[in-house]
Amino acid sequence: MPRDAHMLNDVAGRKSRHVWAARRRFLVPYVFISPNLALFTAFSFAPLLYAVYISFHDWSLIGDSEYLGLGNYVRLFKDKLFWQALANTGVYAAITVSASMAFGLLLAVGLNRRLPGRTVLRSLYFLPVVVAAVATGTMAAWMFNDNYGVVNAILVRLGMGRIAWLSTPQWALPSLAIATVWVRLGFNMIVYLAALQSIPSLYYEAAKIDGANAFHQFRHITLPLLMPATFLLLVLNIIYSFQVFDLIYVMTGGGPGFSTTMVVQYIYQAAFVTSEMGYASAMGIVLYVLILAFTVVQWRASRQSESVL
Amino acid sequence: MQTKTPTSLLKRRTIITTALGGAAMTASTWRSARAQTPVTLSLAVWGAQAEEDAFNAAIRRYQQLHPNVTIKLEVSGNSSQLYQMVDTRLAGRQAPDLFRVQYQQLGRYAAARAVVDVSKYLDAGYDKGFLPAFWQAVSFKGKPHALPHHTDTFAVYTNRELMAKIGVQAPTSLEQSWSWAEFIRISRALKDKAAVPYGFAMSWQNGAAYRWLPFLYQHGGQLLNADSTATQLSKREGVETIAWTQSWFKEGLVPPSSSIKSSEQPQNLFANGTIGMLIGGDWQIPFLSKNMKAEWDVTYMPRDVGMASDLGGNALAISRDCKNPDVAADFLKFMVDEANMEDFVTAAQFLPVRSTLAARELPYKLRPEAMGVFVRQAATIPVHMVTTETLPNFAKINARLTDELDLAFTSGQDATTTARNIDSQVQPLLAA
Repeated sequence: MPRDAHMLNDVAGRKSRHVWAARRRFLVPYVFISPNLALFTAFSFAPLLYAVYISFHDWSLIGDSEYLGLGNYVRLFKDKLFWQALANTGVYAAITVSASMAFGLLLAVGLNRRLPGRTVLRSLYFLPVVVAAVATGTMAAWMFNDNYGVVNAILVRLGMGRIAWLSTPQWALPSLAIATVWVRLGFNMIVYLAALQSIPSLYYEAAKIDGANAFHQFRHITLPLLMPATFLLLVLNIIYSFQVFDLIYVMTGGGPGFSTTMVVQYIYQAAFVTSEMGYASAMGIVLYVLILAFTVVQWRASRQSESVL
Repeated sequence: MQTKTPTSLLKRRTIITTALGGAAMTASTWRSARAQTPVTLSLAVWGAQAEEDAFNAAIRRYQQLHPNVTIKLEVSGNSSQLYQMVDTRLAGRQAPDLFRVQYQQLGRYAAARAVVDVSKYLDAGYDKGFLPAFWQAVSFKGKPHALPHHTDTFAVYTNRELMAKIGVQAPTSLEQSWSWAEFIRISRALKDKAAVPYGFAMSWQNGAAYRWLPFLYQHGGQLLNADSTATQLSKREGVETIAWTQSWFKEGLVPPSSSIKSSEQPQNLFANGTIGMLIGGDWQIPFLSKNMKAEWDVTYMPRDVGMASDLGGNALAISRDCKNPDVAADFLKFMVDEANMEDFVTAAQFLPVRSTLAARELPYKLRPEAMGVFVRQAATIPVHMVTTETLPNFAKINARLTDELDLAFTSGQDATTTARNIDSQVQPLLAA
């Protein structure tokens, strides 16, 4: 290589090192997040953009596509089943989010005390979280089976009648809600437990000196200091409830009738049963916008409440 | 004793034909010669253990005949999972080379040109070896897009002890099969006299609403008109059939959990004595043989003005992504030849779709006498129903049937509204 070229390379190298040194503080964080950013782009953001593109088409997944413009969105707003699925999802979310958070908090408070076997109990409550959802769904379907399920067997032993848990519209959704709470309880408990253990004990000691009883301590110390955890769990639980699929797929298949058809169930039906990938994508985009809007509202509400505190 | 290996036979035949001159080569020999280069094919299927074993046995035999060909079997949990996987991989241009497909699903793959037209790999008159209904089931616009592999159909399983308790002898021939009224009377007797929680259950769960259609044909109705251009479920026969099947649930003759969208496994209910009869398919024999303690028999489907039973079974198709369709076609023909079809159906308890096999008794491994009932019942599968179920849009039609019939069975939607809803939702699909 000629000497001039060596000199040029040397100058270029020194220049790039200089740029790196000058902007190091600015660039280092991006270097750290770049693997995550690359994976997020490849597996979440790019498919999201592609789903938007598909939502403007009629596409069966295995054949040619046809541009429809806003056709799928117009159909969606006229589709009674979509609105019913959305309403079902709302009811399901309201029941499961409130119940799993309330019971999760109750368990966390209970298991935050010195109890014999509390580690075992914590593990048992957390177990459904780590088991595959299809497996827990199958177990729940067996437990609630009208004919040979353990729940009905217990009811019969107690002298009560059998309940057609999964085969009547009035009982199917409550059965799903109970199974969901069973699955989600452990996660809520663990998050609350971690939050409870980060509250300094001196707050409670001071409150005792001021004459506060256990309820007052819980109401005025524990609950406010659990707000960040509560907000986190609220957002995560609502997202989980709006995205629920496997449990329902295994337990009821969306029936009886449409009583347990949720939005994601309906999206799956459109995508893989009736091969309407464009329509399924349009519903997916609407669901995405709804969850995003809800998260933004919650986030703002949480920031306001934290500033008040 | 020294035996000639198929490979040596093939080589010798190839050498002889080459020596005689290329012009004298038959089409099949030419294809076998092409298959000398290493080829790997993937075959995607679903099925119970007996079916998986039967597929593996056939693959081993083919690989012994063609050592240069490797067939990789990919097994999905059920048919829905397989279609989901195949569709997604077709979209990504990497579908399995071959896949198992229900006759009801083949139309949509053929219409989307996702499977290969196999007519160019078949000799003239090849179709004559198959039962006409099944050759029709794999044909799209007059061309075969898969090869029929086997069929299955429905009959009535009965609990021997319970039937004796109510003093009922099951029909022993198609002509003696129970009328609708007799079937209901026996179901009531099982509940009332034999103290069984429910008289019977029908195996149509997880959205298999097309299995309701045989009842419609038994009552003289059809979902579509003769040339499949218009729906006609709102006619008297359609409404009455919906009302009759709905009455099973209203009267408590069947478990509420046995409706179409449910995930209930009705063979469990038959095996544990919750129901006295099961309207089910021949593929349930291995499960019942293994798990049911009580003795059981099989009799014919109930009949009304006519006899009819379910179109079940599967074909084997070559995907458009297959890089070696000539080798894949050779393998398909091997799978459905007389010897391999017999081995498969007798091992996995299915019915053959070759005329010669259908005409004689086969050495089924389990309950050959019960399989005889299914074989004879298969003759009642209505040809018009086959045409309906193999329409390209039948998957969408089936989804509408599932939704509306489930509403009728579980949510009190009346028969007239159900028929009208199905007609109005299915008609646009026929135009499409």
